[in-house]
Amino acid sequence: MIKITELQKYYRTEEVETIALNKLSIDVKEGEFVAIMGPSGCGKSTLLNILGLLDDPDGGSYLFNNIEVAAFNERKRADLRKHNIGFVFQSFNLIDELTVFENVELPLIYTGVPAAERVGRVEKVLDKMQIMHRRNHYPQQLSGGQQQRVAVARAVVNNPKLILADEPTGNLDSSNGNEVMELLTDLNEQGTTIIMVTHSEHDARYSHRIIRLLDGQTVMENIMI
Amino acid sequence: MIKNFVKTAFRSLMKNKGFTAINILGLALGLAACLLIVFYVVDELSYDRFNKKADRIYRVNEDLKLGDNRVQYAVAMAPLAQTLKRDFPDVENAARLRPTGFHVKKGGENIQESNVVFADPSVFDVFTLPMLYGDKTSALTEPYTVVISASTALKYFNKLNVVGQILTIDNNQPLKITGVMEDMSKQSHFYADFLESMTTKADSHSTGWLQSNFNTYVLFREGADPKKLEAQFPQLLQKYSNAEMQATVGMGINAFEKSGSFFRLNLIPLTAIYLHSNLTGEMSANSSAQYVYIFSAIALFILIIACVNFMNLSTARSSNRAREVGVRKVLGSPRKYLIGQFLMESILITLAGTVIAIIIVAIMLPAFNNLSGKSIAINANILTWLVPALLIGVLMIGCLAGAYPAIFLSGFQPVDVLKGKLSNGFKGSRLRSFLVVFQFAISIFLIVGTLVIYNQLKYIQNRDIGYNRNQVLVIKNSYELGNQANIFKQEVKQLSGVVNATLTQFLPTSGSRSTDALFKDQSKDPKKTIFPQLWQVDPDYIKTLGMSVTAGRNFSEKMPTDSGAIVINETAAKFLGFSNPINKILYRGYNNSQLKPYTIIGVVKDFNFSSLRDNVTPVVLFLNNNNGNMGIRVSTANLPTLLSSIENKWKALTPSVKINYSFMDADFDATYRTEQRMGQIFIVFTSLAIIIACLGLFGLSAYAAEQRTKEIGIRKVLGANISTIVRMLSLDFIKLVFISILIATPVAWWVMNKWLQDFAYRINIQWWVLAIAGLTAMLIAFMTISFQSIKAALANPVKSLRSE
Repeated sequence: MIKITELQKYYRTEEVETIALNKLSIDVKEGEFVAIMGPSGCGKSTLLNILGLLDDPDGGSYLFNNIEVAAFNERKRADLRKHNIGFVFQSFNLIDELTVFENVELPLIYTGVPAAERVGRVEKVLDKMQIMHRRNHYPQQLSGGQQQRVAVARAVVNNPKLILADEPTGNLDSSNGNEVMELLTDLNEQGTTIIMVTHSEHDARYSHRIIRLLDGQTVMENIMI
Repeated sequence: MIKNFVKTAFRSLMKNKGFTAINILGLALGLAACLLIVFYVVDELSYDRFNKKADRIYRVNEDLKLGDNRVQYAVAMAPLAQTLKRDFPDVENAARLRPTGFHVKKGGENIQESNVVFADPSVFDVFTLPMLYGDKTSALTEPYTVVISASTALKYFNKLNVVGQILTIDNNQPLKITGVMEDMSKQSHFYADFLESMTTKADSHSTGWLQSNFNTYVLFREGADPKKLEAQFPQLLQKYSNAEMQATVGMGINAFEKSGSFFRLNLIPLTAIYLHSNLTGEMSANSSAQYVYIFSAIALFILIIACVNFMNLSTARSSNRAREVGVRKVLGSPRKYLIGQFLMESILITLAGTVIAIIIVAIMLPAFNNLSGKSIAINANILTWLVPALLIGVLMIGCLAGAYPAIFLSGFQPVDVLKGKLSNGFKGSRLRSFLVVFQFAISIFLIVGTLVIYNQLKYIQNRDIGYNRNQVLVIKNSYELGNQANIFKQEVKQLSGVVNATLTQFLPTSGSRSTDALFKDQSKDPKKTIFPQLWQVDPDYIKTLGMSVTAGRNFSEKMPTDSGAIVINETAAKFLGFSNPINKILYRGYNNSQLKPYTIIGVVKDFNFSSLRDNVTPVVLFLNNNNGNMGIRVSTANLPTLLSSIENKWKALTPSVKINYSFMDADFDATYRTEQRMGQIFIVFTSLAIIIACLGLFGLSAYAAEQRTKEIGIRKVLGANISTIVRMLSLDFIKLVFISILIATPVAWWVMNKWLQDFAYRINIQWWVLAIAGLTAMLIAFMTISFQSIKAALANPVKSLRSE
């Protein structure tokens, strides 16, 4: 599903050039659950941003479903993103002015789903995430775990093929964290590909494979049994 | 999608109540000020446009240069109207008007009416004056007939259809009412409640081409070119006035032009008269286009300041919105949706501001009318243009003010936002700094403008005007006393508390006056002419008004030869060019050929008798029994008793006519009422502009402080005291205000100097005026900012650091 080859990314300031990704090559197959680990500054988040088409690589190739997407313009990237990729962030990134229902509905609005259909789909996913009773609440009225469940609901409402999760449990206590990991595992079992950046060995154990990065390069890959 | 935009926009605005309130309040104040000024400007621009044929109506002006004297008149000769209609096929019709006044008898009372105009019958064809009763074509054809307004009919008869009724004017003259017309629009350069038939007036039949007394209006045929007629005026004058000119000044029109003098006619469009014409012999005092320009500019400035506030506050708080933008983009929102969302917020704010502005306008309109001397009312007529204009305005202002924030905010790259790269939305916006400078430059400009106008008005009112206008009672209808006027004067002079009294044709504060040529010798050479105002006075005139004689002597009752004597003002002496004018002789023409000699016996110090915008022109005083006006110098602590004694003397002589008096200082102030009003309006709107600019600055400084909460916390932990923090936070803004001062001061100095050039007597702009303006702006800005800075500096650093 994802094949990146010799991917490069630099960050330049006036005086210093930092290499974030150094000719990195990774394959992810459809239905896989991959964890990416490594110390701070090793390039994990940069990799996730490029995979999510939020950022441009400076070199190398990125095939998404066998299509070269590295040189896509902003409009094409947005289009591919909204139909294929769901995001889960450490800090939830819910919009404070919108209710739970409206936050989850947002991706459907952007993909042009008719209003009548949206209600059913949002309710279904809220139900699945066991957050239906909070549908009319605003994010700041929810606990961290509940907020992340909403964020996951929002990520999956469009039935994306790929979910990118950036430290999804980083802001949660262990019991809420476990719940979110169970949710992701369920989604993966139903066929969604998941790539997750994490610092937590505990969370990484939910995945099929761990890719460890250092200085923008793969240093080790562990296949989980 | 629109529903989603509105919902998000509304919630976002409600969440940031302080920001929203500042934005809406600033915009509402700005819009309200703008609307009031727009009402004023529209009112001024719509004068005379009620006439259906307004675009085809022109007035004939006269332009006369005699030696060094040039006078432009709004009036023309009696036979001109008829001649134009007869000789020029392009002229469809022509009408003459001449303002007058009379007293109308109602029961035992004589009521003074001043909105009286002599008019040709064609007035109803040229102007749009709908008749309620009576026949337009024949209404004013007979002498002593009159068409009155509906409200006048109600005033005198309590009913509208009064055709055929008789009004008695000036005690015994019957006037037959031949028509009742709708009340005239107040938006007219002349206003009449009575149109009296022109044929009543003897000199309307005059065939003379050198006396001009009639405001003459020409109605062109559709498609005719007024320029063509104007080009033929020289031939017209050659044809009709040459012989008369030859007889009066001893040379024909061509020779007259060759000698450096001229006698010309020109046209002014009807719709330009009210704002662009200020000639001798106007129907009534006109306004000036200058004020329309000034106020339009102020309205625009205020609106720009309010819009700038919106742009600045929206971009300043961009960091608060950045995350939302990032998330929406990650979820697949195209940029146009985000732009749409932010524009919707902007339009919502504008809409709310407009609603509040309308409420403010409705509340403030009576006060504004009072201030501006207008009688603007929000009626169906105004609403037909106001409602669409407001809707378009809301969309335009919303989009204009929201465009920059929308483009700026929607341009955030999600990856940057989510990485926290845009956490500081406040710094780094050159545009925002530029806009703050721009706002304050406008405010400083307005402060300088206000100070200069205020000082100039004060100067005008306190300047030595060459006579003492205090404690002079003016009796405006002393002519009613007829032959008894002099008896009245002598009796009044006997009253205790009366210092002196004078009977005269003109007082320095009275209205229209006449000019005539005086020759230096009997050759009638225009080069040896002055063209002064000729005032008929009595020997008490100079003493009563407290004028001073700088050379020669005053008139004396004891000198019988003074009937051929004149006293001239200093300007006349200068124009004449005599090294010592005393005992020199001037000649005045009578009956086209005879010249009468006058001996100069004295020179009176220049005194102002028209607007202080104009230079003093030559004036010649000569003795005559004219009882037009009476001036009484009083000196008493008990004015009410003296006034009632004067009234009693009046009643004893003419019981049926009411005495009409005023005080000279009040009349003088009335001459400058327009300027005073403009000054007051200017002050009000300048204050508003500054308040709105400060609202913006208040909001900006609040955000600046909020953005730097963490920095302030760290600095305090490291030992910074409150004053250091306040200075740090204030300095950025104070620098901007300082730049504004540097830019605005020279511009304001230049513009206001230009404005002052219009005044013959004017102040110099002192350096301290500019300094005060700059300091005021600086002080107001500092007070605004320091409120936020002190608040931020006093905050507990532990709290701010923990929250980060």
